[in-house]
Amino acid sequence: MLRLTLRNLAANKARFLMTTFAVVLGVGFVVSSFVMSDGLRSTFGALSEDITAGTDLLVRPTSEFGEPLPLPEDLVTEILAVDGVDNAEAFMESAENELQPIKADGSTITTAGPPQLTFAWNDDTEIGAFTIVEGTAPDEPREFSMDHTAAAKHGFEIGQTYDFVTPLGVEEDFTFVATTSFGADNATVGATLMHVSLAEAQRLFGDPGTVQQIAISVDPGVDAAAVANDIAAVLGTTTAEIVDQATVTAEQKAEFTEGIDIVGNVLLGFAIVSLFVSIFIIYNTFAIVLGQRVREMGLLRAIGADAAQLRRSVVAEAVIIGVIASAIGLAAGVGIAALLTAVFEAVGAELPAYPTILSARTVVLAFVLGIGVTVASSIAPARAAAGISPIEAIRDGAAVTPENGRQRLVRGAMTLLAGVAVGSFGLFGPGLGTLALVLTLGSAAVLVFLGLTLASPAVARPLTAVLGWPVAKLMGTAGGLARGNASRNPRRTATTAAALMIGLSLVTMGYVVGESVKSSLGNLIADSVSADYVIAGMDEAALPPVFADELAASGQFEAVTGMRYDEARLGADVREVTALDMGTIDVLFDIDLEAGSIPASDATDVILLHDELAADLAADVGDTVPIEFVSGHTADLTVAGIYADATIFEDPLVPDQVFDAAGAEVADEWVAAVLPDGVSTADLAPFVAELERTYPQVSIDTASEFQQSFEDTIDSMLLVVNALLALAIVIALIGIANTLALSVHERTRELGLLRAVGMTRRQTRRMVRWEAVLVALFGAVLGVAAGSLFGWGVVSALPADTFGGSLTIPIPQIVQVVVLAAIATLVAAWLPARRAGKLDVLDAIAH
Amino acid sequence: MTQATVTTEPAARAVGAKKYYGEGDTEVRALDDVDVEFERGKFTAIMGPSGSGKSTLMHCQAGLDTLTGGQVFIGDTDLSSLSERELTLLRRDQVGFIFQAFNLVPTLSALENITLPMDLAGVKPDQAWLDEVISTVGLGDRTDHRPNELSGGQQQRVAVSRALASRPEIIFADEPTGNLDSTTGTEILAFMRKAVDDLGQTIVMVTHDPVAAAYADRVIFLADGKIVDELLDPDAEQVIDQMKKLR
Ligand SMILES: Nc1ncnc2c1ncn2[C@@H]1O[C@H](COP(=O)(O)OP(=O)(O)OP(=O)(O)O)[C@@H](O)[C@H]1O
Ligand SMILES: [Mg+2]
Repeated sequence: MLRLTLRNLAANKARFLMTTFAVVLGVGFVVSSFVMSDGLRSTFGALSEDITAGTDLLVRPTSEFGEPLPLPEDLVTEILAVDGVDNAEAFMESAENELQPIKADGSTITTAGPPQLTFAWNDDTEIGAFTIVEGTAPDEPREFSMDHTAAAKHGFEIGQTYDFVTPLGVEEDFTFVATTSFGADNATVGATLMHVSLAEAQRLFGDPGTVQQIAISVDPGVDAAAVANDIAAVLGTTTAEIVDQATVTAEQKAEFTEGIDIVGNVLLGFAIVSLFVSIFIIYNTFAIVLGQRVREMGLLRAIGADAAQLRRSVVAEAVIIGVIASAIGLAAGVGIAALLTAVFEAVGAELPAYPTILSARTVVLAFVLGIGVTVASSIAPARAAAGISPIEAIRDGAAVTPENGRQRLVRGAMTLLAGVAVGSFGLFGPGLGTLALVLTLGSAAVLVFLGLTLASPAVARPLTAVLGWPVAKLMGTAGGLARGNASRNPRRTATTAAALMIGLSLVTMGYVVGESVKSSLGNLIADSVSADYVIAGMDEAALPPVFADELAASGQFEAVTGMRYDEARLGADVREVTALDMGTIDVLFDIDLEAGSIPASDATDVILLHDELAADLAADVGDTVPIEFVSGHTADLTVAGIYADATIFEDPLVPDQVFDAAGAEVADEWVAAVLPDGVSTADLAPFVAELERTYPQVSIDTASEFQQSFEDTIDSMLLVVNALLALAIVIALIGIANTLALSVHERTRELGLLRAVGMTRRQTRRMVRWEAVLVALFGAVLGVAAGSLFGWGVVSALPADTFGGSLTIPIPQIVQVVVLAAIATLVAAWLPARRAGKLDVLDAIAH
Repeated sequence: MTQATVTTEPAARAVGAKKYYGEGDTEVRALDDVDVEFERGKFTAIMGPSGSGKSTLMHCQAGLDTLTGGQVFIGDTDLSSLSERELTLLRRDQVGFIFQAFNLVPTLSALENITLPMDLAGVKPDQAWLDEVISTVGLGDRTDHRPNELSGGQQQRVAVSRALASRPEIIFADEPTGNLDSTTGTEILAFMRKAVDDLGQTIVMVTHDPVAAAYADRVIFLADGKIVDELLDPDAEQVIDQMKKLR
């Protein structure tokens, strides 16, 4: 039997090579995901150890909730005095892009890529992880250093002075005194890493007299744990913890790993889609090839092979294909990893050099997945083929029909319903964790796809007839024959179309959700914001605390307020609280007040509650609610009003005075401003331009630009959807071309007949191509329907008061994608069509 | 060698037709300098032992295959001067085919199969003629059926109808009754005879069956790629005798 298996494989080489393509891609993505994350993990693991090598202990502030308060600077000297402490250094790190150096040409480094970070310099290179490559340490005011890679890339030269964008506005004339290296290899992953003196760090992004953390090294031979106990004694009332090197290293690794995992997971997502789609393609290939071997199977049965032997022989074929595909996929995976690394570098996020690690786990998984997928998709065709009775095969025209249509339809409908049920549970049921939700929705999608594939042959005939009607009308007899071919074998059409269906449904869902959220947000923003300007830090950059005051003082606006956020305990729970100028709420927003009134700007110790929170707290207008901040400051706030609109605010709102008194967050997250009557945003353009020059890290958007920026964010997320689309379509098209080639082969005699009675080559090619398009359109229609359903589910599950919950189906985009898929199909069908056209008429008839 | 009296220009003819396969030692002369004319409105049968070149002659004469040397004509068109596309159009418009089996496109109904060459050409079939053909062949109300819903004999009748429907210059049939039982085969042969007598069609038929050959006006005998003999208005006995001589 094995000899027969090998013969069959050899006879269908090209066929199986195409089949394996999807498996190769799927396995390749899995492997690349592991190769990249294993390699990067090993690099970053070593780096984490480098960074923390000199730090035996780390003191850092803690708090019960919220952002902890910084440590007093005096603590450094106190710790230095502890027995066994070799050195203690203050650690300070800016927020991302909080400080931005201005290049010689007047521009800043783009904030779209990796971040710009500034640290306080310390001379102890054991603790600091940075060493000076060239120059002297930045320990004077208005001096800074930069890692040598970034310095070279952006043209910073030692001895020159540069201006800085700071939270305090643009500050001039910082002297560039040194280039540095982060660890031995300066593995910055594209980030720009700078240092200033501790005093400068405190002035620019910290608080005077405080430090963020204290890194400690102990004397050689001293037990760090014992020293930690002594340090705990000097901490006194300061709420802080002492952690050891192992903890710091582990945390550092975990932080790096998070980023690595995101890349790995995206690749795994691609892998899952291509593996899943490949199941359909392989299944189809097996079903067709075995269908063509019906006679051979019957003959074998007649001469005494039993069903189990036949089944084993087919599964053996699948195993061999799986092994070959997995091996190719393994190599492809290493290639994909290298390709992606190059892509990352091209977009400015170069990865550090990492070793290519093909762990045993990766290899085993590649083969298990590759072989598993192939064998799984061969089982049904193998069983069907083995179930052939000898008579059936010898009688002409016997077809492999594993089960009857009605049974299949019922099974499909039930699978579909199960999928919908699981999906509804995931979307509308009890709140699940992220992983559980992804798994639930993922299995729901798989069930829906399987159900559709099982059930769709029932609609294949009528649907392709309808879709084919214009083709038959426009393309004459070739079109009519194409239509007939597309519907002659509904199961094959359905399975072939399944791959495209899956791809298009994912894309449609992405579009439906994206567009729905866009339009809902648009409406909500239009309803609830009457501000003319919405101002926020660009990308991750912080908004300077002085900014809102400066705007208010400019006299250009009727009302201006900054919004700052901090955590506070309100009632029993810790919640995010927003502080703002209460007197401006009426002019800037429409919060839909249900009860009470909005307090004036000078009101103190008042609070506005969203109605759901008011219900939670059982608080009514006039009641007082106690509030406690991170600093320990407490106050009793009087409920001034209750509001309903959750578009902009859902938090409790308090006057600025409450935050100031509590020593809570000082920097605004964003600022809203409205112009006086009769002044337009155009009138104010020069003022805005000037402001943007002073604060390059701030983006000043008009209300419509603000809305646009939301839409841009959503659009950029849809890019990932588009990448998935491209992948799914490519695989689907290969599947269609493959099936078509098999069908052409299977219909050789029929094609010969058509050619003999006068069908021209052109007509033949046209017939094959349009058959492909009809199959693709069939898949597209199902995919769009399923995708719209998914999209509708997701949109309904989104919170209505923040995303609006209104469904928008972006028909133009969807039509565009469908047309694109149809055109791509015409291209994919080119080869099979050419082959059909080139068939030798006599050979074909004699076939 | 005697030639039938030619009253009109023949529907098709071959002049010095040669078809060789392979080269040197392995050369096979499937057609070795064949001259033959197929008279308009007559039913000609081609007979001969297996491998004698019957199918080759038919394929070359019908424009399905090309000659190694010599010429073949349909009407007065020299097929060797035609491009692949022109040959296709010629087959579509001027030649009808009936094969031994797999004559029909499974996705088309009987009627659609019958009008297929005209549909491919984009011309409307002549309805009156179509009705006449269908009734002559005796398909009746089965024209809406798909091929798999028809018996083998009915399928061959559809094939005959298709060959007749476009009123081709000439119809070629390669063992059209080879797959049928004798009763059904006899019916089909009777229809072909009728098409010649009543509709004035020209038919060339390859067959192994002396009884079938007896339906023809004339039988041509091939051996080793050459025409070795012919019979006019044959009966089965004569054909059998003739075949015995060739063996
Ligand atoms: N493609 C080919 N390549 C090589 N030789 C061929 C080819 N086609 C036919 N022949 C040879 O040409 C000769 C004539 O073949 P042809 O098919 O015309 O015979 P036939 O008279 O139709 O036989 P049968 O009664 O068996 O159908 C045979 O010897 C055959 O082997
Ligand atoms: Mg023959």
